Amino acid sequence: MNHEQAERLLSARLDGERLSSRAVAALDRHLETCAECRAFERGAYRLRESARIELAPAVPDLVEPIMAAVRTEPRQVTRLRDFRPRRTRRLMPRLAPVAAALLVGAIAGSLVVGGPWQRDGGSALAASDVTEGIAAAAVHLDAYQATFAIRETHLSPEVPVRDLTMSVWFEEPERFRLDVTDHTDYPTPATPTDLRLVVDDSTWYASGPAPCGTARCPLRESAVRNRLPFSTAAPLPADLILPVSTLTDPDRVTVLGRGTVLGRSAVRVEVPFERARPLFPFLQIGGSWRPFFPSDRVRIWLDERSWFPLRWEVFPASGTERDQWALRFGLPEEPATRPVFSVTALDVGLRDPDPQVFEIPAVAGATDQGARPVPLAQVEREAGFVPVAPASVAGLDLYRVVLPREDPGSTVVAYADGLAFLTLGETRTWMGDAPFGPVGVQAEEITLPGGGIAYYEPASNEHGRRLSIHGAGTELSIESNLSRDELLAAAASLPVEGLPMPDAWRVRGSGGAVVERVTLAQARDAASFPIVLPLSLPQGFGLASVELVAAGNDVGVTLYFRDRDADAGIGTIRLHLEPANSLPAASSADQSTVDVGGLPLPGRFTPERSQLEWIDTGIYRSLDAPGLSLEPLLAVARSIPSGAEASVA
Amino acid sequence: MNDPDPRTLERARRGDAGAFEDLVRAYQGDVWRFAYHFTRDRALADDVTQEAFLRAYRFLKGFRGDSRFTSWLFRIARNCAMDQIRARNVYVERVTPISGTVADPQARVELQEALGAVSAEHREPFLLVEVFGLSYQEAADVLGVRVGTIKSRMHRARKAMMEALEIEEDAR
Repeated sequence: MNHEQAERLLSARLDGERLSSRAVAALDRHLETCAECRAFERGAYRLRESARIELAPAVPDLVEPIMAAVRTEPRQVTRLRDFRPRRTRRLMPRLAPVAAALLVGAIAGSLVVGGPWQRDGGSALAASDVTEGIAAAAVHLDAYQATFAIRETHLSPEVPVRDLTMSVWFEEPERFRLDVTDHTDYPTPATPTDLRLVVDDSTWYASGPAPCGTARCPLRESAVRNRLPFSTAAPLPADLILPVSTLTDPDRVTVLGRGTVLGRSAVRVEVPFERARPLFPFLQIGGSWRPFFPSDRVRIWLDERSWFPLRWEVFPASGTERDQWALRFGLPEEPATRPVFSVTALDVGLRDPDPQVFEIPAVAGATDQGARPVPLAQVEREAGFVPVAPASVAGLDLYRVVLPREDPGSTVVAYADGLAFLTLGETRTWMGDAPFGPVGVQAEEITLPGGGIAYYEPASNEHGRRLSIHGAGTELSIESNLSRDELLAAAASLPVEGLPMPDAWRVRGSGGAVVERVTLAQARDAASFPIVLPLSLPQGFGLASVELVAAGNDVGVTLYFRDRDADAGIGTIRLHLEPANSLPAASSADQSTVDVGGLPLPGRFTPERSQLEWIDTGIYRSLDAPGLSLEPLLAVARSIPSGAEASVA
Repeated sequence: MNDPDPRTLERARRGDAGAFEDLVRAYQGDVWRFAYHFTRDRALADDVTQEAFLRAYRFLKGFRGDSRFTSWLFRIARNCAMDQIRARNVYVERVTPISGTVADPQARVELQEALGAVSAEHREPFLLVEVFGLSYQEAADVLGVRVGTIKSRMHRARKAMMEALEIEEDAR
């Protein structure tokens, strides 16, 4: 095979043309020894990148003149009465700015970021404009297609840079596909990180190589059938389309400024990586990826009209803690000013995807979630009751009603519009000893607008924001990606008055002690020592619940602090207080002594439990949080007033 | 590039103006871009796009699905572009900078120049395959040539464009 032949084959392969196995084998043999042809292949990829990025001028919207001309045509129009307007047509007027920006054939175009910058001046954009804009856009989105280029650095010393592409398709409410194609030229035989995730209403499919480094890795496939609507166990990663989970809380979003991306007005925001994880769903599907530090900074360019993310980049955090972490992972020095990972839109549009895009291959051994769809009219006959319905669901439409097979006496009613969803589970035969649904006994108790009690948990990696309501004769579980306020408003519109947890859930035995959920005032009455709260908690955290722990004659108190909006990896911060004059015996080989500050006795840190323990004025204090390291734990600990101060106060 | 939902296409074939409008919305961007790269003139690209959809509307009833809808539509667009160019007796080879939308005009101009540096014979398959994502068979349908011709023109177009853009990868 000569260069000319090899390059022609390479060119065809690059374009997705099928080559015979003999041609592939001959080409690969040639490439092993021919640096010139390998250079041609790399150059062709670079040409593709520049062509796709640069070759798209802004496209005018010509629908009106074209349709005006069409309407003057004499062509016989038939069966017009059969025509039902599609939802996209209904939504067009509401979507006008988005449509103008995007419907006209997408914004494939230059992504070279630059243009006029505004920082803290001009027409400043508040973080709440961004979060509210995204929430509003989410319910207006019918369909979406996009292609992105992904560049990753420092996967390993041998693979300093990887180039991948990612395609995303969506059709409301629950059809989604994500393809990642790896274009990396690996120096040694390696399985490319080619991934696929497909959601088609009640079926779900994911495939990709096992994460085993840059080597030959086995391919994995998993599938779910009879999927529950908006099942978070088989999720649809909506943030790639609109960062509905990443950018919900304006207090956590920093607006850096405005600029021009793809020739359009764009706003740049920053969030720490731990909050931006939903923008990187491919990391979970399979393949090997570089590690990220929780406080690495993710800078996101959002289209100011549509709020679609156009480009997001990860910049390394600075500080010794990150440096030590990087050493552990064998990462080279990474300056804080240079992105280590970037995702860049090449083409974004609101076009309806081809239905075949969402076809899911048959997979043996698919997990059965047991959801059986039923028409609303038949629910009473099948479930034995008529599910309650909220008077308002933030404008979402009724989408599906299913009966979970494993729990025949319960129903799940799903509401959706665009990317926004709310599911309402109900049972009349709950026998559990904790709230119904994915809500724990330490959840925050909330008095809903208009009265009634609900138990709330923030969004997490596994679940959306959720509530459990214990009513007279019924139990409700609500889960949603709506904001906390919208979720509470929907719950308040239910014709059920939430009651406090029954004693059977509130009080339980644990290792010879009795643990009882109480209010802070009840705990203060029952405890023989002052209950002091930290004055400084990570942003967004608040007191969720309080428990009394009674063992023998001693009464201790445990306070649980949760993020009100979304748990981004810190988890629950737990502060336990009980009378004692010394620390318990050492319980781990890896404990170290630390100075909590201003106290006669040193404290103790146990890394494996992220736990800090110390004695303050005759009270044992233990503070732990799964996602906090020593420094932030110490900051919380040092903000807790000393017992001596508390007594005086 | 995906073909439309067959139900939409069928409704449009039967004369449903709403369904046809959906097709216009979905494909006007691609048709316009193709026309623009073909004619290098924004106003001409507008005319070609409008004319192409008008012809598509007239002839849709006769579209039997022998090729993909997108190939068929591009073929019409190409014919319209050729007609417009002939009618005006110009072939616009100049580089037309596109105003107001590009943060790095230099990069775009270079690419446009590189496109200008290859012959129309090579530029057309390059645009169809590389930019619009058509397969070789679809590009062959649009241009009325054989698949083998597309294959060899793609290779030559790449070589020429890489040279024009001075893309040189070290032969490592």
